[in-house]
Formats: sequence, structure tokens, C-alpha cells
Amino acid sequence: MLKYFICLLFLFSTLVYADDNVLNLYTWSGDIPDSVIRAFEKETHIKVNYSTYDSNETLYAKLLAIKNPGYDIVQPSSYYLTRMRDQGMLLPIDKTKIPNLKYLTQTALHPSYDPERKYSVPCLWGVTGIFVNKAFYDPSTIHSWKDLWQKKYNNQVLLIDDVREVFSISLITLGLSPNTSQPTEIMQAYQHLLLLRPNIKLFATDAVASIVTDDDATIGMGWNGDIFKAHQGNSNIVFIYPQDGFVAWADDLAIPKGAKHLNNAYKFLNFIERPDINAKIIAEEGYPTGNLAARAYLPKAMQSSNILFPSDAVMKHAIWQGDISDKAISLYGHYWELLKLAA
Amino acid sequence: MSKNQNKLGNCFLGSTYAFLYLPILILIALSFNNARYSTTWHGFSWQWYSLLFQDTDLWISALHSLVLGVTAGCISTLLGTLAAIALFRFKFQGKSLLQGLIFVLIVIPDIVLGIALLMLFSKIQVPLGFFSLLLAHITFCLPFVIVTIFGRMTHIDKNIFEAAKDLGASEFIIFFKVTIPMLLPAIIAGLLLSFTLSFDDVMISYFVSGPSFEILPLKIFAMAKLGIKPELNALCTIIFLITIVTTFSAQLFLRKNKHA
Amino acid sequence: MKHNNYFKVFTLTSIWAWLSIFVLLSFCMTLIASLLTPNEQTIFSLPFTLSNYTQLFNLIYVKIFLKSLYLALLCTSICLLLGYPFAYFLTKTNEKYREFLLILLIIPFWTSSLIRTYAIIAIIKTKGVLNTLLISLGIIHHPLQLLFTNTAVIIGLVYNLLPFMILPLYANLEKHDQSLIEAAKDLGATKFTIFKRITLPLSMPGIISGAILVILPSMTLFYIPDLLGGAKSLLLGNLIEYQFLTAHNWSQGSATSMLLTLLMGLLLIVYWHSMKKTNTKEFS
Repeated sequence: MLKYFICLLFLFSTLVYADDNVLNLYTWSGDIPDSVIRAFEKETHIKVNYSTYDSNETLYAKLLAIKNPGYDIVQPSSYYLTRMRDQGMLLPIDKTKIPNLKYLTQTALHPSYDPERKYSVPCLWGVTGIFVNKAFYDPSTIHSWKDLWQKKYNNQVLLIDDVREVFSISLITLGLSPNTSQPTEIMQAYQHLLLLRPNIKLFATDAVASIVTDDDATIGMGWNGDIFKAHQGNSNIVFIYPQDGFVAWADDLAIPKGAKHLNNAYKFLNFIERPDINAKIIAEEGYPTGNLAARAYLPKAMQSSNILFPSDAVMKHAIWQGDISDKAISLYGHYWELLKLAA
Repeated sequence: MSKNQNKLGNCFLGSTYAFLYLPILILIALSFNNARYSTTWHGFSWQWYSLLFQDTDLWISALHSLVLGVTAGCISTLLGTLAAIALFRFKFQGKSLLQGLIFVLIVIPDIVLGIALLMLFSKIQVPLGFFSLLLAHITFCLPFVIVTIFGRMTHIDKNIFEAAKDLGASEFIIFFKVTIPMLLPAIIAGLLLSFTLSFDDVMISYFVSGPSFEILPLKIFAMAKLGIKPELNALCTIIFLITIVTTFSAQLFLRKNKHA
Repeated sequence: MKHNNYFKVFTLTSIWAWLSIFVLLSFCMTLIASLLTPNEQTIFSLPFTLSNYTQLFNLIYVKIFLKSLYLALLCTSICLLLGYPFAYFLTKTNEKYREFLLILLIIPFWTSSLIRTYAIIAIIKTKGVLNTLLISLGIIHHPLQLLFTNTAVIIGLVYNLLPFMILPLYANLEKHDQSLIEAAKDLGATKFTIFKRITLPLSMPGIISGAILVILPSMTLFYIPDLLGGAKSLLLGNLIEYQFLTAHNWSQGSATSMLLTLLMGLLLIVYWHSMKKTNTKEFS
């Protein structure tokens, strides 16, 4: 027994101490496909240590508690990017090292939250809209968020399991800003959500595409990437951009302070902006990117998909998700608890 | 024991095993399902297996988890056995504090232990990676081992130790020749339990893992965000078949040895 | 005599060292964190305050606690009802197979619990295996809506925690002295009396170990209520997860965990006291 044990110890001592030509990548799960990482490793012979998280808060907690445990690239959402930038957790980006940025649209290069792209490199973005299953409901009767409040959808509606997302649909319906920090507005939104409560079948962020594909939820709110995937498996699924407005967000890449493999990080950032590689991200994850040249590499059906690429006219109704104060976050949280308990 | 009762018992055992194994059978079936997101049947396909064999990262993380589980399991079993013996046999100062600490370890929610350990590791500068994971896993497996072993000890006659001492055995001899053999079933149970816990832990590992050592449960947790990829079902099917084959052959081997 | 002490010293030092570094120290850090003021930049900072605790004495949190406790107790009782006969019958099987049967009990747990939870979803969903089977057999005509209900949560919890009940129970039942039972039989006791007067009291330590191992995780496992119950109600596990991860209010999260730890402690102490009255020795 002891012999085997010692053998095992040897085995992983070789595993633990890997070589130095590496890149430590820490991103959202489901934002960068494995095929892209494998292609990068093959081309550059850089070993990528890839780990993922599923909330900005986790990323933030890890960088804050440990002062960067060794990550070279991270991927905060737009509203976390500003927070992390303001707290000096990010390094400025040297754009001359990413020539492939030339493939990006002007909109992608000058977002409101980082106008000159000093701290971020665009990766992908998405919107939150309404999905409907044609086999159950007529999509032409649904135009805006307030339609979800109709009595006939009793115990049918899927909501995203995220405070900000859920409150934003209520705030938009009331004609308020989804980025509000006003206590009275947040309370109004909560009271309006209470009316939606009997319609809620479930809250979900995990495996939404599976739930929607298999008719386990037939109407509700969803991210366009999830609904795009569901649509591929079940053509009855329709995505609707609410006319009263909808939230958009972006997951951009950034280099955290304390990154040790800067050269490799830039190589990777440049790599994912290469059109053929960028197209892989769009095709496999189902979210749009700001890379115009990449679209030519997509199958025709995808290029014309309105779930994947909303038109400029539609995007006029988009509201970018912004950061709010911690005080407002805890207030949202308080009403979120109340909402979940109001069974 | 009457025959009827025997039958009833076997029926009950059988149906409980069926309950435990049904989801496994379903996931095996799903690993051959020709659909990415749907979990209803869409025809037979090998595609997830061929994808799986290209995905080296997944295999490496499975290997990492195995290594971590075995190491954490062995060390926590050793430590837990010592702790159970200390609690059972010795009188010492601060015994109730020690019991209190074990109790805290049992009741503290996983997520809190994870964050507390993250704070601790950042204070004492343990780099996040294999060793931070190992230390954390040993710690959270410990109470399970202690409870399992202590549960068996309460029925041991303490006089046995006295008798052994009177016969001139040293404590180390008593440990190896008396305590261990008497506790062996509980020790094995503790080892299996801690390996199982370590191999499946998400919540604590989530906080104390670093970029250089990716483990399977975290990989699965992240991938499940998008709905279980049938590739994962394929991996679990293979792991499951390997364990079944190993267990059966070990069982046969042991039985043969016994007869010889 | 001196030689004998080495073992004691070695044992005590190793266990003390481990527990004081990784449990006492981290527990104290949580305790301190729970007394600090939450802060945007550095997570928490001075001054010390009790407000994280006073905020918890709020009707919402009492509701969350009671709801979690109810679910956990229900889950523990079902585990006990299933696990006790299972462990009992297991001790009656042929000794040759027993070890093997025990390992068979653990093997499913070497498959990720998350993946098995998704497999349970595949069974009970609207178009799932169970509904398809029942409809094709003509037992029901409309699919059962099991998924995203409390029933689904209970199924998931029991499925995941059953072995934690069975293993300590089995370990206990296995070493019961058969001669006691034989003697009772000879004295004319019925099976029921034997069970009530001998087997049950003797197996109390096993029941308690099992209950402890089941009740605590069932209060704090949050992904099962999330995935199977549709995340519609907030349980303690969700609350703590939410406070730490979404609200990044670590002080509040620490305070909640401290209170949970305390309440669990009280619960167990009350239990032990009642046990001592019935004169049974117990994990102390």
C-alpha cells in the first residue's frame, strides 16, 4: 500500500510542476470554446491552464482575497470591468500588440464603459429577451415584457436566476432605468414583480438551453445565446426583442495586475480576434462578437440569424447594464429574498 | 430468520439499489444520445465518445481529481483514526475544545469553510493549487472519518487496551496489532467515504483552487452551466465502467485467495 | 512507560496542530469577519459592529430558517425510513457478499453528483423517462409535473444523502450482539418487542450519527433545490451563497453561518441531553 502511495506522490509531483511557457486563463464558463484553446496551443506551443467561473463575484473575490493567484487573462462583464478598473485591479492594454483589433466595428472599439478600450479587449456580448415556444403560444401576441404578466401564463414563465436581470424587466415595464440605485424605484419594481410571482415556473441560469429545448419551460426571459442553442434543437423556439427595451451586456477580456505571462496574454488576445478563430467562438457559444470580418466565416443560416445578430434598429432599444453601488446591490438583494419567499 | 422475511429483505435491498443506479443507467443512455442539449432520445451516436477522446483537458482534470482524492483520503483517514483513538482512549486537557472543533467542522456549511480557508491561505501565503486543495480536502473529510470510526469504537471494550498494556505491548504495537485490526472495517469505510467526498466536492474547491491544477468536479460544474454536455456523460460512463470492472475483479481475486 | 507516551504525544500533537490551524484559525477568521463592517474596496474593515447579527433577527430569515429546517427534517426522516431497513437487511445477507454490497452502495457516488442530478431531471421531466413510461402503460394521460416542485427537491436530496444515513447505521447494526436477541427470543419476546426493546435502543448511536450527517448537508446543499426545485424558494444554503457571492457581503454571510453553526449546536446539545436521559451512550 505504502509503495503505491509513494508512486502516486511521484506521479503528481510531475503534474504539479508544469513548464513555464504557459498562459493562465480564467473566464466565464461557456464563453471560449475548447476548440479555440486547442488551436492556440497547437499554433504557439503555449500550454493554456484554463479555468472558468460562473459569476463576476467569484472572479472579484478571488482577485481581491489573494491579490491575483496567477491569472494572466480574466473576463469581467462590462459593469464589473469598470469596478475593477476603478479599484486598480487591471493593467492597461497595449493595443499595438493586438493588430487584429482592426477587424472590429467602431461600436465594439468604443463602448460607453471603456470608450478608448484602455483596459479591455472585446470578446463577446449578448442581450436578454423573451423566448416563446410556438407550439404552445402565438409569438405574434407578445411584444414587450409586460406581456409576461398576463394571467394565462400562470406557472409557466422561466426567469433568469439573477437579481439584476429579473429586476430590470420590472423596471423597464415601469418605464424606469434598469441601472437605477433609487430605493423607491427598486421597491416599486419589487411590488410589480410580486404580481408576476404566480406566473413564475422556475428561476434558472444553468442548462437553460436544455430546459427550453425539451418544453420544460415554454415562455420566459433568456439570453440570446441560450435561446439560439435551443432554437437549433427545437425550431419552435422564437426569440423576441421587447419593444419597451432590453438589457445588453458584454464579457470582455482584461489583464489583471500581477499577470506573469504578459507576452503570452497578448498573443492570445490577438489570436481570438483573428476572424476565423473569432467565428468559432460565435458558432459554438451562440453569442455575437464585435468582429465584423469573422461573420464571413459563419454558415449562411447563422449570418442571417436575428437571434445572433440583432439589427441596428432593434439595438436602439438596448440598455447597457451598468455598475451600481454596493448599497443598492444589498437593497436589490433584500427584495430578491422577499420575492423568493413570497410563495 | 424466516424465508419470507429474507425475500422481503432482498426485495427491499434490490429496489433501493435500483433507485440508486437508475440515474446512472440514464446517464449511460444519454452518453449515446444524438443531441447536444435535449435530454430526450434522438437516436444512437458515438460522437460524444470520439469528442471525449480528443479532449485531453478533461482527462487531465479527471486524473488530477483521482490523485487528489486518493491522497486526501489516505491522509484524512490516518489523521481521523488518530483523532478518534485520542478521543476514545486518552484523557487530556482541552478535550472538550477538541470535540468542539470537530463539531464546528461538521456543522460549518461548505461554502463558509471554503471562504474561511481562502482567507486563511491568503494570510499564511499558501499558493492556490494542488496543496491548497489537498489541505482543504483533508480538513473537510476529517469529521466524516472521525464520526465513522468513533461510531464503531463505542462498542469496543476498553479493557482490551489495558490487557495489551499489561502484557507489555507498547502503544505503537497496540495501535498496529490491536486498534487497527479491530477498526479495519470502519477505517476502510472512512477511506472510501473521504475519497468519495473529495472526488465530488465542488463548493470548497471552488474557492481554494488555482490556475495550475484543474479538477474534474469544478470542470463539470463549469460545463454544466450550459447543460450537461453528453461528452461528460460519456466520461462518467467510462469512469463508472472502470470502477465496476475493478470492483468485480478485486472481489473475485480476493475470494480466490481466500479459497486457496 | 515513557515509551508509551510517544504515541499519545504524537497523536495529540498531530490532531491538535491540524485542527487549530485549519479549523480554529479559519473559524476565528470567520468570527472576526462577521463582526466587521462590510466595505466596498476591501470586503470588510474596522470598526467592529454587531449589526450583521442584529439584521438577522428579521422575519425573513426566521422564515428561511424554518423552511430549510422543515425540508431537512423531512429529508432526514425519509432517509431514516429507507436507510434503517436497508442497513438492517444488509446485516442479514450472506456474509460472503456483504462487503461487495457495501461497495455497490458507494459506487454511484463516484459519479459526479451534479451529473446524477441532471440524470434525475432527465427521468422526471415533462418529456422524461418516467412520464413516457407511465403514459405508454396507460396509467396516466397527462404528464406529471414533477420537475421544479418540492417533491423533486426531496427526491434529489434523499438520493444524494441516503448513503450517509446507511453507512453509520450499518456499522452500528452489524456489531449487535446476537446472543441478546436469542436470549430474548428464548424468553418469549415477540419480534416487535425485540426490535423495540433491544435493537432500536442499541442502534441509537448509529441513527444519530446518520441523522447528523444527513441533516446538515440537506440544509445547506444549494444546487439541488436550485436545479430540481427551480430555485423558487430561498433556503439557508442559497442565502449564504447569495450573501457571499452575489451581494459580496462577506461579513453578513459570516454572521449567518455563525448563527447557523450555533443553532445546529443547540439542536444537537438538546438532543444529546434527551438521549442521556434514556441512558444511551453516544458520540460525545
